[in-house]
Amino acid sequence: MTDLNSIQENKYTAGFETITDSESFEPGLSEDIVKKLSALKNEPEWVTEFRLKAFAHLQTIKEPTWANVNYNPIDYQALSYYSAPKYRNKEDIPQEILDTFEKLGVPLHERDSLLGIENKDENIIPTVAVDAVFDSVSIATTFQEELKKQGIIFCSISEAIQEHSELVKEYLGSVIPSKDNYFACLNSAVFTDGTFCYIPKGVKCPMELNTYFRINARNTGQFERTLIIADADSYVSYLEGCTAPAYDENTLHAAVVELVAHDRAEIKYSTVQNWYPGDENGVGGVLNFVTKRGLCKGESSKISWTQVETGSAVTWKYPSCILRGDNSVGEFYSVAVTKGKQQADTGTKMLHVGKNTKSTIISKGISFGDSSNTYRGQVRIGKTATNSRNYTQCDSLMLDNSKALTIPVVSQYNNSSIVEHEASAGKLSEEALFYLQSRGLDEENAVNCVVNGFCKDVFQKLPLEFAAEANKLLSVTLEGAVG
Amino acid sequence: MLITQEFTVKVDDEIVLDNINLDFEPGIHIIMGPNGVGKSTFAHAIMGNPKYQTEGTVEFFGKDLLAMETWERSRAGLFMSFQQPTPISGLSNFQFIKQATYSHTEKQNISALLKNYKEHANNLHLEDEWDKKQLNVEASGGEKKKNELIQMLMLNPRCAILDEPDSGLDVDALQSLTEVIEDFARDDKIVIIVSHYENLIKRLNVDTVTVLGKDKTVRGDVSLAYKVLEEGFKNVE
Repeated sequence: MTDLNSIQENKYTAGFETITDSESFEPGLSEDIVKKLSALKNEPEWVTEFRLKAFAHLQTIKEPTWANVNYNPIDYQALSYYSAPKYRNKEDIPQEILDTFEKLGVPLHERDSLLGIENKDENIIPTVAVDAVFDSVSIATTFQEELKKQGIIFCSISEAIQEHSELVKEYLGSVIPSKDNYFACLNSAVFTDGTFCYIPKGVKCPMELNTYFRINARNTGQFERTLIIADADSYVSYLEGCTAPAYDENTLHAAVVELVAHDRAEIKYSTVQNWYPGDENGVGGVLNFVTKRGLCKGESSKISWTQVETGSAVTWKYPSCILRGDNSVGEFYSVAVTKGKQQADTGTKMLHVGKNTKSTIISKGISFGDSSNTYRGQVRIGKTATNSRNYTQCDSLMLDNSKALTIPVVSQYNNSSIVEHEASAGKLSEEALFYLQSRGLDEENAVNCVVNGFCKDVFQKLPLEFAAEANKLLSVTLEGAVG
Repeated sequence: MLITQEFTVKVDDEIVLDNINLDFEPGIHIIMGPNGVGKSTFAHAIMGNPKYQTEGTVEFFGKDLLAMETWERSRAGLFMSFQQPTPISGLSNFQFIKQATYSHTEKQNISALLKNYKEHANNLHLEDEWDKKQLNVEASGGEKKKNELIQMLMLNPRCAILDEPDSGLDVDALQSLTEVIEDFARDDKIVIIVSHYENLIKRLNVDTVTVLGKDKTVRGDVSLAYKVLEEGFKNVE
């Protein structure tokens, strides 16, 4: 058997660059840039104010340094804060951009279902609606009309600010205030595009809503902003996917995602994150500094985060839930794979406020090569959160010289609640690999079987269409990781 | 044909098996020997466990076995059932057998494969949903042994080395095991069984018995096994 010490070959298939005419801002971050951005997007005054307040606060705070990651200092003045391909209207989208999404397997035409079957029969309900974001702008959003019939709003955040200003105003920054942290504050000042979803009372969204983020321009930050509101008794399953070209420079991605679930509403938010991880020497790659938080505002509401993270050079990300409504439920299911020189510091926060609130955390960290993989979690059961429960399970699987770290913090302020924590850490066992290989599986396939089995609890939580994709992505990630 | 010549096995530079010269024709062969003499090591080393370093040659139907990776040995028709099969959580029995059979042959019709699998599981009196169970997780010792047999039947190797397939089996299961082995061997296969249980040996049509000793290896017919069982290993050595 070959030894397990070499990891390196990079098989990042989404690393191509799209050559297209674009208009970009000159590099630099200033009040003028913020105003210019707001003006370009023709935003109402309250949005401009929102941005400027955030920008002013940004000047008074510093980047967080507590995470277990190292990266070269970011020169915020060297970044461009807006880049968009040039075209006049939606009928006029340049072919190369359509080709880009085609190549990435993102269906931009409504006739394409995710399975690639032409859909002429009106009785067949398509399974996925897509919002495709290319650098700083949303290119296309599919099935908007179809969804509108049920009162569902699914559009870019820019469009929502124009068309549904009051709704956006009510919720923007309500879960993650601008002052929350440095990257959220930066995002609040310069956010460009992202997705807005509103599911009205009593409506179960009939398809998966999917946003696909593609970074293309060099030296441009991507600051996406997503806001999802599920009104009482509604349900929505949302998925985001993301990729970026293989550039030598780091690309900053600082997103903010806010979710609000009203009484008995449920939001299922899944992420398949495949940003460019950098090359084998740790050169280039996306810095993924993301703030995601859901508010279970109403009673018996439920928010679940499922993430499969294989990309990014550095990940700093803690999708969290505030369980304010009584009997509300928060879930976090995560698979984070790091290899080469990748660094991930990821986890969740479950903040129990309401009575009888429940949270479940299942985190699976897999690390290869020289990578480092940290789980950081906080469970806080407040005084008012009587009879609440949390179950946390953190497992790590290591190979080579990689490092895995688990930092769970639990604080409990009442006696009627129960908190359980289980953790395991282990090396990928040679014994298991030998057993599988003795039945004819080659080494790569054997590793795949062990890793897939390890991740199964989490993969099962993904919507069916994407579970296969996540599996495939994991296989590609593992290709050449062992050998 | 499986032929070992000057076959030496080491762990961390320490010799465990020294200069083993054996050949196995189609038929049923028993390997016996005192505890710690390296019977399991023999099986693992033939299969290519990376824990062991090997010297000498092992010829398998004309092929140089020691030059092959473990999975290549498997695909060439070698099989080994483990004394303690490794648990793999999250991987179901059938998913595993699917991966394994696909690695051996062209992709087969999946429902035919499942039907075939369920038949074997049924014949060995494993529970109905056995195909969905996680591989060697939460299975009893006997169930794991049966599971190894199903894998053998599904992969249909030319040569199967069974490392104590009978330990942990009750009388009924032992009967099923002998039937499976006899049936399998009838098809011109080499079956090498590491065991020292009379109950198994007396139920089989044994062709050769090999006693691995500290200093020498003795080969004989089934009477050698009975001699060992009666008098112990010392008189054989």
